[in-house]
Amino acid sequence: MDPQNTDVIQGTLDMLILKTLSLESLHGFGIARRIEQVSRGVFKVNPGSLLTAFQRLERAGLLDSEWRQTENARRAKFYTLTRAGRKQLEVETADWTRRVSAVTRLLKAEG
Amino acid sequence: MSLWRQLVRGLTALTNRAASDRAIDDEVRHYYEETVAAHLARGLSQDEAKRAARIEMGNPTVVAEQVRDYGWENLVATSLSDLRYSARVLRRTPVFAMVVILVVSLGSGAVATVFSALNALVLRPIAGIRDADRLLTLSPIRSDGLILQQGSFADYSFLRSRSQTVSDLAAWGKVSLTIAGAGEGTIVWGNMVSGNYFDALHVRPHLGRFFSFDEDRTPLAQPVIVVSHAFWSSRLGGDPGVVGRAILVNGHPFTLIGIAPRHFRGIYTGIRADAWVPLMMQPLLRPRADLATSSWLWMFGRLKDRVPIESAQAEFPSLVTTHARESGEAQGPAGFRSMRVFHFTGLPGGEGVMVVRFLGVLLAAAALVLLIAGVNVAAMLTARSIGRARELAMRAALGAGRIRLARQVLTEILLLFLCGAVGGWMLALLATNALEHVSLPANLPILIELSPDARVLIFSICSALAVGVVFGLVPAVRAARLDITAQLRDGAGDSRWRPSLVNRMLIVGQLSLSLVLLVSAGLFTRSLVRGQQIDPGFQMAGVVTTSFETESWGYNQTRAQAFYAALRSRIQSIPGVIDVSYVSRLPLTGGSTTEEIQIDGATIGVHIAAVDAGYFSTLRMPIVQGRAFLRLDDERSERVAIVNESLARRLASDRNAIGRTFRFLGKPTTIVGIVGDAKYATLGESTPLFAYFPIAQKWQPTQSLLVRTNGDAEWIGPAIEHVVLALDPAVPRPHVASMKEATAIVLLPQRVAALVTGVLGAVGLALAAVGLYGMMAYSVQRRSREMGIRFALGAQRSTVVGMVVREGLTLAVLAIVIGVSLAAAAAQAIQGFLFNVSPLDSATFATMSLVFLSIASVASYLPARRAAVSDPIAALRAE
Repeated sequence: MDPQNTDVIQGTLDMLILKTLSLESLHGFGIARRIEQVSRGVFKVNPGSLLTAFQRLERAGLLDSEWRQTENARRAKFYTLTRAGRKQLEVETADWTRRVSAVTRLLKAEG
Repeated sequence: MSLWRQLVRGLTALTNRAASDRAIDDEVRHYYEETVAAHLARGLSQDEAKRAARIEMGNPTVVAEQVRDYGWENLVATSLSDLRYSARVLRRTPVFAMVVILVVSLGSGAVATVFSALNALVLRPIAGIRDADRLLTLSPIRSDGLILQQGSFADYSFLRSRSQTVSDLAAWGKVSLTIAGAGEGTIVWGNMVSGNYFDALHVRPHLGRFFSFDEDRTPLAQPVIVVSHAFWSSRLGGDPGVVGRAILVNGHPFTLIGIAPRHFRGIYTGIRADAWVPLMMQPLLRPRADLATSSWLWMFGRLKDRVPIESAQAEFPSLVTTHARESGEAQGPAGFRSMRVFHFTGLPGGEGVMVVRFLGVLLAAAALVLLIAGVNVAAMLTARSIGRARELAMRAALGAGRIRLARQVLTEILLLFLCGAVGGWMLALLATNALEHVSLPANLPILIELSPDARVLIFSICSALAVGVVFGLVPAVRAARLDITAQLRDGAGDSRWRPSLVNRMLIVGQLSLSLVLLVSAGLFTRSLVRGQQIDPGFQMAGVVTTSFETESWGYNQTRAQAFYAALRSRIQSIPGVIDVSYVSRLPLTGGSTTEEIQIDGATIGVHIAAVDAGYFSTLRMPIVQGRAFLRLDDERSERVAIVNESLARRLASDRNAIGRTFRFLGKPTTIVGIVGDAKYATLGESTPLFAYFPIAQKWQPTQSLLVRTNGDAEWIGPAIEHVVLALDPAVPRPHVASMKEATAIVLLPQRVAALVTGVLGAVGLALAAVGLYGMMAYSVQRRSREMGIRFALGAQRSTVVGMVVREGLTLAVLAIVIGVSLAAAAAQAIQGFLFNVSPLDSATFATMSLVFLSIASVASYLPARRAAVSDPIAALRAE
């Protein structure tokens, strides 16, 4: 397996899903593919974790879902961000940025 | 919002499992197909693409499984399946299940029964009263700290006009009423109440109305009455038309204005009231001048809106001080110095604490039985878990998780305890029904509905489940830590099985707990016996008694005096009657009357009774010095008193008390005799200062008749009834009882405690003995091979019996050591309820340990004998 290809960082999967869905509604495979592509293959999404995360986010009211036809005529479950989901994404993004800059500062200081 | 979604989605998934599973499967399949399609697009062949997709995402079934595991509803679903499985397992072993349920029912039933009493007396809201949490009761405190409970009308009026924290301050006193509705007169207990009594309680009438403003202001102006729903339906035929009509109350016409709501019987649980009349009617119904100043009114009130009870608790003591200052008396008019404010409960302020403590002791005893039952069941379960090890090992081998196995075993146990709790509740129904029919000393207006309600059911289920969790954990953990391979390899079971340490501990535990119960029961019984042996200072045997409430018959003093005199002379002429007398308050019925006497400038508080001539000879009380009362001591002659030895010593330690004079109710009174000390209110009291006055000089309309006969007194009751009804056919039929019966209430707590702990002790011991027997029997059965070898090698039967019995007795002796120390600690807690018995009474401890040891011997000997008669050849061949 490609050594560059790692699992999504613990705890960031929800944020990545929300971010991906903030652009357009997608089905599960689409989201996984989008995350892999945008991260240039750094992150690989585990389907079990992904589909479970959908259940969780949907129950939390951050996502809505509906069954629709895909462009290649398959029936798929499409997820859409709700208003609450959009708000949650903002919160998580801000939080993430804050943490990342803190970690970066720490690493630089040590270096 | 999201909680709502959680709930709705969870419930949808739970109720339509198939649809939600299908949706997940579809989603996973779509993901798989897209992955395959992506690989196909990269140029792989169909087979290669499928393989790559599987490698990438793993087994789709496992993924679907993983997604399905999310959500709380899965916990419910697995619990339900555990429950179904448990029910199936238990149905396979019905005898075992029935025995366990029965054992738990016994323990749970004990707890539920005692809790029912606690519930009925303390916890259950009083029927008909609303917003009871804003109500409070006022209790005057005497200077020596005694809670008096009642105050005078003057106190009440003052507090009612001055209080800023309470919106409706109400007062009530007891009154006995004879109501002539349809048919013969009925004597009922009534309450004489202030006009705001019902308003303060927020009680609404079932029919008609309650008292109005002017009925509360003008003495004697408005003869109106409210009756209870029960009285209305039983005595007035439940006819709505009677409201507004006149009925005769103590011979006076009253207008019936309202019917109280169903079940409302006044504010104190267990003390029943059937009628309510305004306080303003007091001069007519209790015509005595001293009721303005004497303390006979209970007081309660409703807090104003947004006023905390602390404000009232601060206000009333200071109001009492103000009142005392304004009325120019140091201690307040009725001799009380302060006032306590209690939250309103169904029990009078001071007594509530005692009742709760007493029931707490009984509840603890019942909890011990439940604990014994729990230990007993735990022992049975561990014994069975050995037999079930193979089944559990098989399930573990097939892939059941260890947590899941433990949970399943626990579910099974909790199911048993749940059934047991329901069984216990049903036992409590039977037990409380029986208790309600226990006859109490007659003439007491007591009505206690013990029947267990939903609260009792919830309590018994919770307590049983708590015990179930505690004792179910051991077998559950065992199930999780099972050694699978060992179990599956030699499934035949261990022929060298001996009770494990856990088993022994459980047996010793229940044996020692049952000993604690036995010792407590022994202490209470001994205390009851001692109480019955206490010399009250007079002889009850051969004396019968009955009480008359002439006020409630509408008699004035002249007519009542004529009645009492005529009754006395007619009874005296009955052959076999030795002595006849009257007393204002029967001794040993729990209450007392206190007054003050002044002598040499000092004021002394004394307990008093007004008695008729012949009182001391009727009760065989010794006149130590001077003389007894005579018929000549009437209102025209010099005021006289007879004092008990304690008061005589107090008044004249160095001189003769006879002939000394004190002031009583403003009149000089001369001591003419000294009588031996006795018990007055209760058997446990320390002898109070006591003074007797001739009933002719201190008139009391309510009197108890005392008649001493020679020998058997069976025949005298009907004779007295006959004489009374011959004198006035309109008065209620008197209830004649022996003095022993009439004073039985004085030992009621000891009687109840001895009975309850006795029954609980017997149940506990039976459970523990069965537990010991069961373990020994099981052990002997598992060791039949070892026994066979011993016999084959020439062991004597007596040796083998001795070996088994010794094993059982070792446990019993260990249990005695533990149980005796626990019982010693428990005895300290019940000390306050014991009479003349040390909590460490060695005789009780020794007797109960002996009883215990003999039962334990029997429980070990029976299995031992079975081992001894078994056939060695058969035992060896069976292996």
